[in-house]
Amino acid sequence: MEGDDKDRNIRILHSGVLTPLRRWGTKWSLWPCHFVTSCCGVELAHAFACGFDGERLGTLNMGISRQANFIIVEGTITRKMARALRIVWEQMPDPKFVNVIGACGQRGGIFWNSYNITRPSEIVPVDFFIPGCPITPEGLLRGVRAVQEKIEGRDRTTIKFKTAALPSEEGKENRIPTTAKIFAPTPAIRVDVPKEVDWDFGREMVKNLKAQLGDVYKSITITDKNRIAIKTTPENLVKVARKLSDTMGIDHAKNVNVIDVPHERKFIVEYMVSSYREELMPVIITIFTEIGREAEPVLSSLTALWESGDYSEREMHDFFGIRFEGNEGMNRKFLLAPETETPLRKDFKLEEERYVLEDGTPFAPAIELPSDLKMPLSEGLLEEAEKSDDFVVLIGPHHTGSGHLRWIMRMKGDVIVDVIPDPGYVHRSMEKLAENRLYIQNIPLFERANISDPINMNLGYVRAIEKALGIEVPERAKYIRTMMAELSRMGAFFYDSGIFSLFTGHSTGFMYVWAIREMILEAIVRMTGSRCTPSFIIPGGIRRDISDDVLNMTSNFTSAVNKRLQKFEDIFIYNPVFVARAKGVGVLTREEAIRYGIVGPFLRASGVDYDIRKVEPYEVYDKLDWEVTTGDAGDCLGRYMGRYEEIKQSLRILKQAVDALKEMPRGDVISEEVLGEYKEASKDIKGHLFHAYGNLVLPRGEWTSVIEAGRGTLLYSILSDGESNVPYRVRVVTPCWMNLRGIIEASKGERVADFWTIYGSFGYFPPEADR
Amino acid sequence: MIDINTVITGLGIEGNQVSVPLIQQMLDLLPEIPMIKLLISFILWKPFFAALICPGFATLGILLLFFPWIERKLCGRIQWRVGPHEIVWWLGGIIQLLADSLRFLFQEVIVHKDAHRPYFLQFPFLTFIPALLPLLFIPAGNIVAIETPYAIQIILAVICLFPLFILGLGWASNSRFAFIGTVREAFMYFAYEVPFIIAVLGMIILYGTSDPVGIANKQSIWGIILNPVAALTFFIAAAMATSRMPFEIAEADQELAAGPHVEYSGIAFGLIYVLCYEKAYVLAGLMTILFLGGGSGPEIAGLGDLSGVIWFLLKTLIVLTTLFVLRTIYPRYRLDQGLSIGWGAMLSLSLIALALSIALAQVGVI
Repeated sequence: MEGDDKDRNIRILHSGVLTPLRRWGTKWSLWPCHFVTSCCGVELAHAFACGFDGERLGTLNMGISRQANFIIVEGTITRKMARALRIVWEQMPDPKFVNVIGACGQRGGIFWNSYNITRPSEIVPVDFFIPGCPITPEGLLRGVRAVQEKIEGRDRTTIKFKTAALPSEEGKENRIPTTAKIFAPTPAIRVDVPKEVDWDFGREMVKNLKAQLGDVYKSITITDKNRIAIKTTPENLVKVARKLSDTMGIDHAKNVNVIDVPHERKFIVEYMVSSYREELMPVIITIFTEIGREAEPVLSSLTALWESGDYSEREMHDFFGIRFEGNEGMNRKFLLAPETETPLRKDFKLEEERYVLEDGTPFAPAIELPSDLKMPLSEGLLEEAEKSDDFVVLIGPHHTGSGHLRWIMRMKGDVIVDVIPDPGYVHRSMEKLAENRLYIQNIPLFERANISDPINMNLGYVRAIEKALGIEVPERAKYIRTMMAELSRMGAFFYDSGIFSLFTGHSTGFMYVWAIREMILEAIVRMTGSRCTPSFIIPGGIRRDISDDVLNMTSNFTSAVNKRLQKFEDIFIYNPVFVARAKGVGVLTREEAIRYGIVGPFLRASGVDYDIRKVEPYEVYDKLDWEVTTGDAGDCLGRYMGRYEEIKQSLRILKQAVDALKEMPRGDVISEEVLGEYKEASKDIKGHLFHAYGNLVLPRGEWTSVIEAGRGTLLYSILSDGESNVPYRVRVVTPCWMNLRGIIEASKGERVADFWTIYGSFGYFPPEADR
Repeated sequence: MIDINTVITGLGIEGNQVSVPLIQQMLDLLPEIPMIKLLISFILWKPFFAALICPGFATLGILLLFFPWIERKLCGRIQWRVGPHEIVWWLGGIIQLLADSLRFLFQEVIVHKDAHRPYFLQFPFLTFIPALLPLLFIPAGNIVAIETPYAIQIILAVICLFPLFILGLGWASNSRFAFIGTVREAFMYFAYEVPFIIAVLGMIILYGTSDPVGIANKQSIWGIILNPVAALTFFIAAAMATSRMPFEIAEADQELAAGPHVEYSGIAFGLIYVLCYEKAYVLAGLMTILFLGGGSGPEIAGLGDLSGVIWFLLKTLIVLTTLFVLRTIYPRYRLDQGLSIGWGAMLSLSLIALALSIALAQVGVI
């Protein structure tokens, strides 16, 4: 921004009559227009919930730009969101102030070389930056204080910074990392690397498949336990899919993935499909085919068979420019800003890391700011709606009840005709960034996809690596992982409960669960040292052991949670108004839920008994005593109560895991297989992380892990070329991305106000969905 | 030299003074200073006192500065928080709304391009007419600005005008959210207005008069005990009319971004922000008169007429606080649910209340 514009608002306050009154009033009445753009929003909510209570400072959260005078930009502003930020800022009455929180808002943070992010300071004048990834609530309130001081006109240049000499070893250059990235120039990419596994059922199945498919396939391989890859030609793809769907009852697609292989001038398109039939539940069949690498290659879509792949196909259209014939969503950019190219193709290069900056070189890549402030709609929508006498309302991307995506709602009277999602306002290009980072560097990256459920995000990625390397994790580490995953699941649930109660207009419910969440974060802090982004789980185990007093604290904490949960139950869950709002609303039957690809607790609420913790047990879930909660109502109340019961089971699991850990002798927490020569680090990785993991290279092939994250099935698929120490392609399918379709379908035909009930009941978390 | 006493008698304000024994002596010392005597007589003239001091503008003004604070503080306590605090920490942030209103006062007022400019700017001010007029007819104890046997009917009529101005706000905004909010407001308006009026009529029938002072005097047993059904209906209707929580349907922050007020900024919004508190004050005052015995209560020694004023304010505050607390207890109903409550449950309740009142009146309880 231009320099003279920067302090304009302060000047307004300091000019004219009654200046002291103006300043005083504004100082104590900074109403933030919460711009929850990404993960820092979770911490913002903590700052204004009962633990920290930002309202003490007179800052009352107000979602409406006209009435607020303060924007808190929470983290990443993507190219798509940049327009919204500018519009909101311009629509705000003077004098107005902007705080930017989080590392992403300054120089991009961990996403610094992403193709989709901008720097807020180039879009609006910023008054104060608060660093941290994510910031802590204390930091945020400190920022509010700083703006208050700025309004008072206190001179900030008088602050004296201390300089401290850090102890460093002579002659050791700390800035250059020990591991350089190795990119194989022309690696051989294979999705179906055969692997010998002890899996009779699979061999039987392959035999059956071969007999059934006849001549439409090229090869069928067992790539791992529970994983089968079928190769076919583009022409026969639909035939294979139809056969699988008809004869085997494969009913949903878990993932649609494209791999760009420029040196062989081809794209590999793969569909990962599975079935909710009991015996086939753990099996994931990858159907893949190779197509020529052209500007806009065409492939027939499989949405007619598996509608659950719809949004993933649209996403692949954005990223690779592949046109899926038969999918309706091919006419516009779905996840990206309209001017973006096809970024996931290999010839789209990202800025590389530079460790030594020469004078004049910019730190981060130049980003083109959007030239106009229009937020494009799909063509003809408004005309068509006018013809059919519908009322179109654009909800979001900046709206109190939209989350950070835009909903284009068509309504007739008070009834919703259609809701069209416009996601991608928090798309931070994790998949592309992952291709340019070491395996170990991707752990914190993927964790940021969802900081309300960080440990599950972390665990899924690490499990894919462990799968590839074939590492067995020490028993103690397994228990700790389970315990932490359950804590994280509870955190995600309480986050969603809070948002749900806000969406139904119940702020007390929000405050009560946030108090519980604060305790969960406290437990995680004591275990790992970080509130939201611990990056604690590493391939082969966990970073370090957990001490007994922390275990005791966790054990006590379960009863404290129960006590507070009781109060929450009384005021919100059994509140007659809430029950009236949620019961019978947004019903998805079993068939619909499967067809639209709903995952996790929301699928179970529609009557599908599918929980990966039981289906394909990982860590120690098979050793503990707990139950899967299913329901058959399929409405908002059912979805919510299903998750609520699940949390009670989580508390059970937590208690058992803690008890087992207390009994267990302390021992290794990192597998020695992965540590190699750094065996002394098997109790604490501190100081050895990059030595042990820097040159990690996975065996050639595609490694898929699925886990049950807080909001449902989380799938990571890492493709390794066997030569580079960076992944060739990482595909993440997050539960929220899969559930997006469910929100749309459940909303149709319901009342307008029901949309927020449905939205809340699905626990949609946009940063997780957009990645 | 004009004799002040002649002037006072000439104006006809002599006999109609607020009597406060405690300060009467002090007042008696003052006749030496002629203008002061006139001024004090004028201030203590009952109609003037009612309109400008209590329950009129001064009380309203002071309370408006504290209503939102009380609400925020109370919600804070219920929600395990503190609420506004740091602004004057030793008083618990009591002047929070002063800061807010100063900020609104000095902030830019944006009139967007599509708005109907004259109406957009006029309506926030015009809405004060229906919000303030009823205060002229509401007695605090026996102090009332305009005494008329049809006071309750007039108050009802003026209160019923209120939603029209909200519709005007929404219409002038010309925004989609404001439009939906306005339509919702219009729907809700009819749903609560009918049972509301029937409940009040029931009480008028019961008391056999519609003069508020008379009604207050007749309540040897409070109306809320005589006819609890009417009191309940009235209370729910008041919650609906002031958009309190389970019925905050028209404003619905998370759905419509404050509905009719979405486009207002600066002092225009500041006015709208306090408007619903004003309406709540009027309705709570009416409830106090109809159901809680108005200004009746044990005589506080030495305060004379002011004793009734204090009891009236106290009861009104209790009703208001109950209205505020609703926000922390209930989520929001959907529009159709709100309407079905209005046209179903509440209409039935109000008819039962009417029947009960008629029966009680026949028996001759009062």
